[in-house]
Amino acid sequence: MELFKFKSIQTNIAAASACLILLTAILLGVISYQLSASSVRETAQDYTAELIRQVNANIQTYITSMENISMLALSNEDVRELVSEAGNDGTSSEELAREQRISAYFHSIIASRRDIASINVIGYNGRFVSDREHVELNPSIRLAEQPWYTSAQEASGRIVVSSSHVQHMFKDEYDWVVSLSRELWSKDQTEPRGVLLVDLNFSVINDTLNNIDLSKRGYIFIVDEDGNIVYHPQQQLIYSNLKSEKIDEVLAKGSGSFMTDEGKTSRIYTIQDTGFGWKIVGVSYVNELIGNKREMQLSMVAAGIFCLIVGLLLAVFVSRNLSRPIKQLQEHMKKVEKGSFNIRVPIGNPREIASLARTFNLMVVKIEELMSQVVREQEIKRKSELTALQAQINPHFLYNTLDSIIWMAEGKKTDEVVLMTSALARLFRSSISRGQELVSIRTEIEHVANYLTIQKIRYKDKLDFHIDIDPDIYMYRTLKVLLQPLLENAIYHGIKNRIGTGTIQVTGGKRDGYIWLEVSDNGVGMEAEALRTILEPRRSDRESKGVGVVNVHERIQLYFGKDYGLTYKSVPDEGTIVTVRIAAIEGDELAGGVGA
Amino acid sequence: MSEYRRRSASIAIAAVLIVIAVVGIYKWAATQRTEKPVNIIVTVKAKGQMIDFWKVLTTGIEDAAREFDANVSIIGPPTEREIDLQIKQLEQAIREKPDAIVMAATDYNRLVPLAKQIKKAGIKLITVDSGINSSDSLSFIATDNIAAGQKAAEQMAKLLPDTDAAQIAIVSFVYGTSSQMEREQGVRQWLEGNTQIKVASTLYSEGLLDKAYELTKELLTANPGIKGIVGLNEPSTVGAGRAIDELGLSGKVKLVGFDSSVDEVKLIEGGVLQATIVQKPYNMGYLSVKTAIEAVRGKKVPKLIDTESVIINKDNMYTEQNQKLLFPFVGE
Repeated sequence: MELFKFKSIQTNIAAASACLILLTAILLGVISYQLSASSVRETAQDYTAELIRQVNANIQTYITSMENISMLALSNEDVRELVSEAGNDGTSSEELAREQRISAYFHSIIASRRDIASINVIGYNGRFVSDREHVELNPSIRLAEQPWYTSAQEASGRIVVSSSHVQHMFKDEYDWVVSLSRELWSKDQTEPRGVLLVDLNFSVINDTLNNIDLSKRGYIFIVDEDGNIVYHPQQQLIYSNLKSEKIDEVLAKGSGSFMTDEGKTSRIYTIQDTGFGWKIVGVSYVNELIGNKREMQLSMVAAGIFCLIVGLLLAVFVSRNLSRPIKQLQEHMKKVEKGSFNIRVPIGNPREIASLARTFNLMVVKIEELMSQVVREQEIKRKSELTALQAQINPHFLYNTLDSIIWMAEGKKTDEVVLMTSALARLFRSSISRGQELVSIRTEIEHVANYLTIQKIRYKDKLDFHIDIDPDIYMYRTLKVLLQPLLENAIYHGIKNRIGTGTIQVTGGKRDGYIWLEVSDNGVGMEAEALRTILEPRRSDRESKGVGVVNVHERIQLYFGKDYGLTYKSVPDEGTIVTVRIAAIEGDELAGGVGA
Repeated sequence: MSEYRRRSASIAIAAVLIVIAVVGIYKWAATQRTEKPVNIIVTVKAKGQMIDFWKVLTTGIEDAAREFDANVSIIGPPTEREIDLQIKQLEQAIREKPDAIVMAATDYNRLVPLAKQIKKAGIKLITVDSGINSSDSLSFIATDNIAAGQKAAEQMAKLLPDTDAAQIAIVSFVYGTSSQMEREQGVRQWLEGNTQIKVASTLYSEGLLDKAYELTKELLTANPGIKGIVGLNEPSTVGAGRAIDELGLSGKVKLVGFDSSVDEVKLIEGGVLQATIVQKPYNMGYLSVKTAIEAVRGKKVPKLIDTESVIINKDNMYTEQNQKLLFPFVGE
């Protein structure tokens, strides 16, 4: 499996298509080969069967004609007379004349026939008549011992067809024949009287079979019912065991065909039963039947290789087209990875990759924007912190307070000096808060109280204040020095300009999941125009009132988001209410630091 | 890294492709080679004459050629004495550049240089029936002639009454051919273990019936002590048989022969010839071509193939198997 774990798209596609093509080629090849092979085989088998039928018909003709001849001979009166004569040595002129008549009759039967070698009658009374006029028998054999003779006797009247053999009953003649013999019975069918022999020239069968062209290597052979080979083109090889035929299987099977399992030399036997004991067998080699097997295999292989190469080239081409834009994209991504956000991927083909590139470009733009935003925000934060710090240690405030303390000290108002100095000390102490940006509301309110206490001492009857904070929100966090600028604003722009005592109320609570703090005064209030612009960023920090207020608003929004901040309500000559909205963050949640 | 992997993967694929292509081409080449018919020239010892032995051997050659799809042409001198003619024909054959030459040598020694030439020309040489005094032949397909000679001697010993000492004669054929030498050697070897039978003389018929007849007649007239004759080939046997028959010695002088023919069959039936050692020329012809093709196709072939011999006598001559040997059905 390791082999198939290609990492690149290109090799994946190439490998996949190569496998696909190979598989298809093999599958198609095997199927079409099987189909054509079996059709070729069937055709060949049909052809063989047809040929064998023809051979059978031919041989049948010869055998039938031999049978007919034997019938003619049997029904001949002279023949019957000849074998019926008992104890006669055939020397009388009448007998000689009969013999001559029979011989002439036989001769006339076969005169025009090339296939019949001879017709002979052998009487048990010792008489012998042949179609030949002057016949000389082989002195060294006894007719009664010949197989055709004995088997005719055994068959008692039925026709016996021998296997092919050498007929050596005539002197100096050794011809291959097939013998048809039958026993002759007396007229009244009571006792056997002799044997009739009709010999068929085996060469006619041989010629018939030799002229059959089954195939280059295929051949036909004939066996008789005992398994003796009547005809075989390579009979000697069989006797020498250089070749073997499945004779037993042939004998076991009537007609039909079977295939041997001999590997490369497997043969198909097609058998036809002749009806008189012989079996004609056509043998063809499976290999040869599918003669163009190799050519077929070869062309399949060639086609397969061709398809494979073309397919691979195509796959390489396609996958290169596919992977090139991906690789391009990848290279661009690498640059972005290294920090160059000004890169834009060119948008080309294909569509999927193009949309990927487009999205990537968008992402890069966004990231670029966000990063610059972060930079900007950090800058603002730093600035606002600085401003808050300035507000906290406003030198004017410090100077005024210290001045007040001096005046009170000169006036020997010891108690007030102590109160104011301690308030000032606490004010600064509460705002130290270990450099943390966020502090608890409790701390902030203490800070507010200290601040207002100082201002109250300074302004005496002109200022009054109330702090009413829901104690539940003490644990929540807020930005430090958040309320001081608002109070400053209320005092310097609201109360200070008012005639009579001004009151500042600081309230706070929790509502709908957020924290609200409110600073209200009953000072001079603001005109609608001033109210509208109070939270707008000033072009310069120097610009009169509300510098601190804007800073507070921005700080809140930087820390808590745009949902939070300040809201001003004001009615001229009646007063101003500023509401601070911040997120409800409990003490512990601070750990991570929200400000990032 | 992935670039490297990709490259190695493509190299692997290319390699697989090349292997497939090479295997395909190799197979194709291999099939081409086997599909191509093999060209073989066969030289027999006596062509055109009506000698059954060579006719049957030729049938075997032709059947094998047909079966194994080989182009075979058969050459040979008209008689086996014409050694020079066979040499000349073979020189011509080498120029035709066949894949293989199958040779039945007319002379054991004189064809040796030619075998060298054949080998030098890159032609596979197979010898059949009669070999040569050389190792250039890849395979020799023949009757084991020494064994056949021994069989003949054994038959002769069985035929002669074992009481008295007997002299026998050998009617050989062409002096110097391997089959003749080996058969005689076989006869003599076997007789070494027999104290009673002595080989009185060896006659050379030159493969001619008439000469065998005359020499035997002369010998039998001159030396009545000869009780048996071994004829080492067909004409020698038939010639000797005729002489015995004519002198009225049939049955008295035992005759054991070689090969078969109608004449020999008549001699057997007539009681003149008691036994004959029959070879299997069909198998020789068939196997020589088969072996030649195997040699051409690069298979290892046995150095010696014995096609065996059969003893034929009056009793077994008409059995199913022996009929074919004695009366070869040579296509008209």
